[in-house]
This record gives sequence, C-alpha cells and structure tokens, in this order.
Amino acid sequence: MSGNEIIKIKDLRKSFGETEVLKGINLSVSKGEVVVIIGGSGSGKSTLLRCINRLEPFTSGSIFYNQQDILQTEMVRNEIGMVFQQFNLFKHKTVLENITLAPIHVLKRIKEETVKEAMELLKKVGIEEKADVYPSKLSGGQSQRVAIARALAMKPQVMLFDEPTSALDPVLVGEVLWVIKKLAEEGMTMVVVTHEMGFAREVADRVVFFDNGIIVEEGKPQEIFNAPKSERLKQFLRRIS
Amino acid sequence: MLAALSKLSKVKILRWLANQYIDIIRGTPLLVQLFIIYYGLPQIGIIINPFASAILGLSINTGAYVAEAIRSGILAVDQGQREAAAALGFSSAQTMRLIILPQALKTMIPPVGNQFLLLIKDSSLVSTITLVELTRTAQRIISTTYKPIELYIAAAVIYYIISLLATKLLNILEKKARVSE
Repeated sequence: MSGNEIIKIKDLRKSFGETEVLKGINLSVSKGEVVVIIGGSGSGKSTLLRCINRLEPFTSGSIFYNQQDILQTEMVRNEIGMVFQQFNLFKHKTVLENITLAPIHVLKRIKEETVKEAMELLKKVGIEEKADVYPSKLSGGQSQRVAIARALAMKPQVMLFDEPTSALDPVLVGEVLWVIKKLAEEGMTMVVVTHEMGFAREVADRVVFFDNGIIVEEGKPQEIFNAPKSERLKQFLRRIS
Repeated sequence: MLAALSKLSKVKILRWLANQYIDIIRGTPLLVQLFIIYYGLPQIGIIINPFASAILGLSINTGAYVAEAIRSGILAVDQGQREAAAALGFSSAQTMRLIILPQALKTMIPPVGNQFLLLIKDSSLVSTITLVELTRTAQRIISTTYKPIELYIAAAVIYYIISLLATKLLNILEKKARVSE
C-alpha cells in the first residue's frame, strides 16, 4: 500500500430500501491522479461520490481518506471539494460571496484575504467580471465555473465532480471541461463522474467503468476505449457512440 | 420561529410538542383562548392583568400560524442548497442561519405578512377581556353619544389605515428580499 493513496474504498455497499445500488466497491485514488468514472445512469456512480464526502450514509464497508476512516474524522468535508450537476450556488449571495462564505465561516479566515483569493479563483475560471452579480444572472456554464471556484476556495486536497456538464447546453460544456482540464494539469487529485467520453479519454489517468453497482472494468483510457475486455463495457461503448 | 424549527427537528419530543402547540392553537378560536387566559388562569391562582393577557393570547395565537409559514418557507428551499453547504463543511446550524433561512425568508414574507394583518384586526377581540383598545374606545364613546354608525366607521377607518401602512411596509420588504433574482 503506497503512502500516495489519498482515498481508499473497501468493499463499499449501499442500499436504498430493498435495492442495493453499490454492491461491494473497491477503489483507491492516488495523490494527483485523475480518475474518471463512466457508466449508465443508475449504475451507482453518483452515489459513490456522495458516499465519499458523507452526503450519503453507506450500509457497510469503509472509506479511508489519508488512511483515516472518514466516519471518524471531521476534516473530510473541508478537504474534499464537490461540484454538483445542478451547481447548487447559494442563490441569495453574489458570485463573490458564494466563494468567500465557506472560507470565512468554516475556516474562520479574514474576509479581506478570502476576497482577494476569490478574485484570483474567478480569474482562473475566466469570469472575474461576474463577481458582483447574483447566480440567477449567470449561464449554466458560468454557474458551474463559479461552483468550481467555490469548492477550490476551501483549498481541497481532492475534488469530486458529479456529472458537472450534464445540466449544460452542449455549447457550454467546453468552457467547464476547460477549467477541469486546467486543474488536472496543475496536479489536482480528482474523481470525475461524466458522460463526456472525449474528456475521459483526454484527461483521465484511469477510467473506471461502473455497471449495476459494481466496477466492471478499470484501466488506462486507451485500454478502456480501444480494447474493452468485458461484454458489458463493449455494449456500453457501442450504445453511446 | 422556535416552533417551526422544532417541528423540523430530528428530536422527536420537540417535534411532538411543536405539533401539539400548532394543532391546538389553530384548532381553537382566538376568543376562547383569550377567555381561558384572562378568566381561566386566575382560577388556578395565576392572576394576570388584561394587557398582559392580551399580549400573551395574541402572541401564542399568531406564533402558531407564523410557525407554519416559516416551516413551509424552510421546506421550499431546494435540497441542493443543503448538500452544497454540507459539502463545503458548514455545520447544520450555520447552514440554517447563513443559507437556508435567508432564502426561506423570501417565500415567508407574504404569508407571515398576512398573519400580521390578521393580528392587527384580531386585536379588536381583546376588547372582550376589558382591555381598552380601539374597538373598546369606540364603544365607550358610543355609550355617551349614541352615534354607533359614525364611530364604528371611524374605528374601521383607523384599522384600515394601520393595515394599509403595514401592507406598504411588507411590499417594501418583499422587494428588498428579491434583489437576488
């Protein structure tokens, strides 16, 4: 077991009532690695992300963050950033306030510093001119970039992306993927659930294929997309192409 | 406010208490509630003057209705807001204070405002527990002048003006709450 391992998931199971959506997941993510999770809807990929930062309680198994059981430590949420399909920006706060709110109240940092950092983050995601507008005035792509900046403001060690482009107009997908790609190049550890196969091919260090609550196949993007082994993955790739 | 939060709370006993409070108050007439406080409490040794009875009665009554308005405002806030807050590490108290309540406020203003208008008008009922308020004053003057139409209409006009002012105030509040749209 390498010390590089930042997330380790062991035999994770999760049921909603009678239905088991995660049927024993084993997965680890190393520091700096970009893991892209693909698979049909309802295959459990989003649920897995939600379990990792404790938005969803799980039935059995365990998840370790830096060798610590996530159920035993409070730090997890501060250090793991999450970006949602529906952005979930705070509607009553301006773009800038959306970004500074958590650093000020959760990390208890000085407002002036957080504002300065927020402006830098907005520049990084390419929308510094929108700092003082409310989320209702933003396009989907802009909203999602603000959501990414908001998560980054907590200086997370890992970023989780839950279908970050699924709610966007096709023309706006590119601007969000561009930001995620940039983060990947900077060495951010990321777990991305997505339906964008082009993106997975280009950015992923490892692609994980989920089907029906289990990991069916994982490997380098070339292996997964050019030489799929399992029948289920072959079927899935045929269906989406 | 306390009742609304209790009703949404995970603690069963708090939820039960809030439910009982709201159901009982909403299921009984304000007039009877006032009578119980003013005429009933002295019987078990709690003597309370008319003014305090009136304040207590109206507060308890309005509180129950406002609690329901607050609760529905809180429930109307999108679940995603809570998840985003949790993912950023906010505690549940912080989430309520910084994220949920400010957004709930916007949906709460019209029904809560409505309740305050009702409160202004319901205050006329406290004349029945001997408190000298607007309606009672009108009655007193009538008893010496024998001019009920003029005086009751005058009283109605005063209620109307107060309500109108309150409505204006509420409209301003509502506009303020909508700046983020």
